[in-house]
Amino acid sequence: MNSFKLIASLVLFTGLVSCSSNHEKEHQYHGNFEKIKALEVDSISYPVNSLDLIGQTTLVEVKTEEVTFYIPERKSSIKSFKCSECHTKSIPELKASNLTGKRAHWNIELNHATPDVLMCNSCHPTQNLDNLKSNLNADIDFNQSYKACAQCHSSEYKDWLGGAHGKRVKGWVNPRISQTCVGCHNPHSPKFETRLPSRLNTKKIEERR
Amino acid sequence: MSKEEIKNNQQDQNTWHQITLENTDRRGALKKMTAGLIAGVGIASTSCSVFSEDHEKEASQMSWDEFFKKNYKIMSDDERIQTVQRLESLYEKKTGNTINISHQGPMEDVLFGYAFNISKCQGYMDCVNACIEENNQDRDSQMQYIRIHQIEKGHGFNFEKAEDNYYNEVPANNHFYIGTQCFHCENPPCVSVCPTEATWKEKDGIVVVDYDWCIGCRYCSASCPYDGRRFNWGQPHVPEEEVNKNQHYLGNRLRKKGVMEKCTFCIQRSRSGENPACVDACPTGARKFGNLLDPKSEIRWILENKKVFRLKEDLGTEPKFWYYMD
Repeated sequence: MNSFKLIASLVLFTGLVSCSSNHEKEHQYHGNFEKIKALEVDSISYPVNSLDLIGQTTLVEVKTEEVTFYIPERKSSIKSFKCSECHTKSIPELKASNLTGKRAHWNIELNHATPDVLMCNSCHPTQNLDNLKSNLNADIDFNQSYKACAQCHSSEYKDWLGGAHGKRVKGWVNPRISQTCVGCHNPHSPKFETRLPSRLNTKKIEERR
Repeated sequence: MSKEEIKNNQQDQNTWHQITLENTDRRGALKKMTAGLIAGVGIASTSCSVFSEDHEKEASQMSWDEFFKKNYKIMSDDERIQTVQRLESLYEKKTGNTINISHQGPMEDVLFGYAFNISKCQGYMDCVNACIEENNQDRDSQMQYIRIHQIEKGHGFNFEKAEDNYYNEVPANNHFYIGTQCFHCENPPCVSVCPTEATWKEKDGIVVVDYDWCIGCRYCSASCPYDGRRFNWGQPHVPEEEVNKNQHYLGNRLRKKGVMEKCTFCIQRSRSGENPACVDACPTGARKFGNLLDPKSEIRWILENKKVFRLKEDLGTEPKFWYYMD
């Protein structure tokens, strides 16, 4: 009789243990990566769309073999574009013509690399100011200015394509809309300035005194 | 004890059981027991008084229902809508202004993750500012969910040598910056220790607090290895014109004295597809946010292509907040 009781309780116990461990398995993963791999979904459709979040902004597609995403259109936000509407002559001709009066673009100071590496005409072709240019003088559209930056900043470019560098324009949902290089950096002075932090917590100073 | 006494005692106990165990719900029993008392004094004086205005009676009824509501986690959808509506109209009655409190649940196939680029953070603290404004944090005690630590290079991640309340030009020479906040752990110790189940992990990975069920014991705060939780020692105060009216029940709705709060990845924004306020505010793009279950998301690219690490990984808390460097 006793052995019967023992067997019965053993069966019951193992049953309970296996039941609870089965229950656990549904919810417990050994770490985030196991969970991510188990639950990831190849093509997700979200109830919201980032295009709805940003409203009426015109976008430009960035497409490589690995990734496709969008950046804000640039040309419409450049003041007095097209440049050729003022620049009827090329820069060398303009310089030769001894113009007097106030200089245009007086406020642009080039604080980017050193003069032996980078000058105005490294990016702005003197003959056609409506476009940018590559190191080998190929035209680069202002809407794709990242191509000019990518020539030197190849690791930043790779991180930007992947998503480790730069920032999203609005929202984390699809489709991906990211800032282009000049959305955050002034191309003529790309380094972020030193400044005071935007907040000081005076209570924390009192509490820790 | 005589037979008579035992009998009487049992009868008393039966009566007690009838009060407490009929509908076995603890709140229900409490409600019944206090109902008679309060009904005779407080509510009766407002709701039955011929001098009370109708809106006063209504507000009193709403406060009553609010007081006896369930834990948000076990509420039905209808109950969630009701409590949100009550909170909205109570706020309107109090201030004359309207707010929108969302009860939006998690999206399908979403697990939120966060990445922080220590090479990019310059210590500007724009994220801290944005967080305070977005999440209606107490202005009097200057509560901040995010801490940015300024650490001298050469000390590594030594938080004992870190300054998290600096006021010098940033980035300071020979220093680097690292931000901490709630890491929304997969195994959150704060959730395990909560005696009232007032804090839990949602399906999309966000660890939330039901401010109406928190009893202020601060066990969660003690158990958090990352200093992720903040406590309202006093009545929190946000000037009316600065209150963010776009709120979520589990997020930035106005809190009260004696309750715990923390970063919710801006649940009111993230569940609508937007980035948390800190991510949008960061001028250097050091903050990254996204869906870990989407293999094409940027956060997944970072985890798979950059050298990432988390703080105190050996504790097994599995934070969903990674750091990386360029």
